[in-house]
Amino acid sequence: MRRQFKNTVTALAAYDDRIVMLLGDVSVYLFKDFKEKYPDRFYNIGICENTLISVGAGLSSQGFYPVVHTIAPFITERSFEQIKLDMCYNQFGGNIVSCGASFDYAWDGATHHAYTDLALLRLLPDMEVMQPGSVKEVDILIRSQYNNGYPSYFRLSDNPHNIDIPVTFGKAVVLKNTNSPVTVMTAGPILGNVFEACRQLDVNLVYFHTIKPIDREIIEAFGHTTIVVIHDAFGLYEAVCEVPGLTVFPYGFQGQFYCSYGTVNDARKCLGLDSLAINKTIQKYIAEHHNSRVTNVL
Amino acid sequence: MIPDCKNIRKSILAISRESGHGHIPTCFSVVDILYALYSTIRHNPKNPSWNQRDIFILSKGHAALAHYVVLAQFGYFDIGPVHSFGSFMSDFGCHADRLKVPGIEASTGSLGHGIGLAVGIALAFKIKKNSRKVYALIGDGESNEGSVWEAIMVATNLKLNDLTVIYDNNMSHSRGLQIHNPTERFKAFGCEVSQVNGHNIETLKTEIAKQQDKVKVIVADTKKGYGCQTLVDNQYQWHRKSPTDSEFDVLIKELNEASI
Repeated sequence: MRRQFKNTVTALAAYDDRIVMLLGDVSVYLFKDFKEKYPDRFYNIGICENTLISVGAGLSSQGFYPVVHTIAPFITERSFEQIKLDMCYNQFGGNIVSCGASFDYAWDGATHHAYTDLALLRLLPDMEVMQPGSVKEVDILIRSQYNNGYPSYFRLSDNPHNIDIPVTFGKAVVLKNTNSPVTVMTAGPILGNVFEACRQLDVNLVYFHTIKPIDREIIEAFGHTTIVVIHDAFGLYEAVCEVPGLTVFPYGFQGQFYCSYGTVNDARKCLGLDSLAINKTIQKYIAEHHNSRVTNVL
Repeated sequence: MIPDCKNIRKSILAISRESGHGHIPTCFSVVDILYALYSTIRHNPKNPSWNQRDIFILSKGHAALAHYVVLAQFGYFDIGPVHSFGSFMSDFGCHADRLKVPGIEASTGSLGHGIGLAVGIALAFKIKKNSRKVYALIGDGESNEGSVWEAIMVATNLKLNDLTVIYDNNMSHSRGLQIHNPTERFKAFGCEVSQVNGHNIETLKTEIAKQQDKVKVIVADTKKGYGCQTLVDNQYQWHRKSPTDSEFDVLIKELNEASI
């Protein structure tokens, strides 16, 4: 995904000289082509996330489209107030592109895990929050949103899914509709596991790459079903719950520190987010629905 | 104190008394700095968005009332509406909103933000090869924030030599985390530093206009409440206080008696 991000931004910069890269000493080697081509629009600002955002906002105030990039928890949690005030309140929009989504850096421990970013940033006025799950989604969403003047968050992962999905900003995608009384909703790279888990099940499956604005229309279309939000971070469940009157359950990361190391797949398995565990969970909801119908009939 | 700055202080006192809102001592410490700035930088009160103007950001946003009165003094707007300071329908809040007040370049209030914005703007001008200058006024208390020093490091590293930071050295940090010898600290961060009397308009104007080869920092030695001894002697008590009618009379008397 990061390579696609670099390719997309470098291609855009060829004809849009308002794009300025601001790195927090991350992905510097990856962007060496950009640096060679556009040295006056490439700045490795340093390991100072607060100032990274403020500088981006300052550039935005003068008509540039800053692309701020570093590791997810640091740029979103440490710099939350800079994003809130310098970008959102001042209306100096810009692009924040993070890496290290959820448990991508499982081996680095809890200091490097990112699971609050989507939930936090969706609280901010005017903020656009995206969790592309594939390289195609990265490319289309960045091209679509980078120059609209709003503060836009793109959460990249090193573990994309490989499912080809039509991409339009703000529009969720129905991947499976069996008229089941149970609907799974998910977002981002974890779709790979969720898709596999749903393959043999009588269940509807809805996918989001945009967390804010959330596609209320599609949620409402499945509002008569039992909705299970399966996600490896906070944010999607809360966004789905914006729609009133739903029967909706969260499944996935539950908010305890994940204190093991290993790989992202180790973390997913431990958290019940491997495809087998997801499959069993969905089956449970399908069975519960069936049982409740039987009970009601009796 | 020049007559204009004395009158600006009187307006601040009057508006504070009427509105019930304050921050008078910190406003009084920066009045002369703001007056010297707007006497020196390129700007056009009749066209606040003039595309060749220099940019000034009040990073210590709680001195907004002083900023409003100085902007009014320089013709950005009439002083009348400023008297609604801090009220529900007012455009003039206790911290400024750039979308409401002509001449305000950034909405500030939370400390340690404005200087980072100023660095970004200075970088923008450098990329555009534009000679426009950028000024940020920061507080010494504000400089307890790590983001101030981050921003300074980034500015010197990027050689943003059209950036000037004015450090309001009014000793407001003295009861908390003290910043001893700010001049040496800014020098150590790679800045070109001068230390001046922050209440001397001509000295300030000279320093602001002086050519620079590095990021420039003007350490402006000031007094919280300058012009009213009661405020100077009781700066913490008066930090957010608004004067009663009798206190107002005392403060105006002290201002009138202050030397010109």
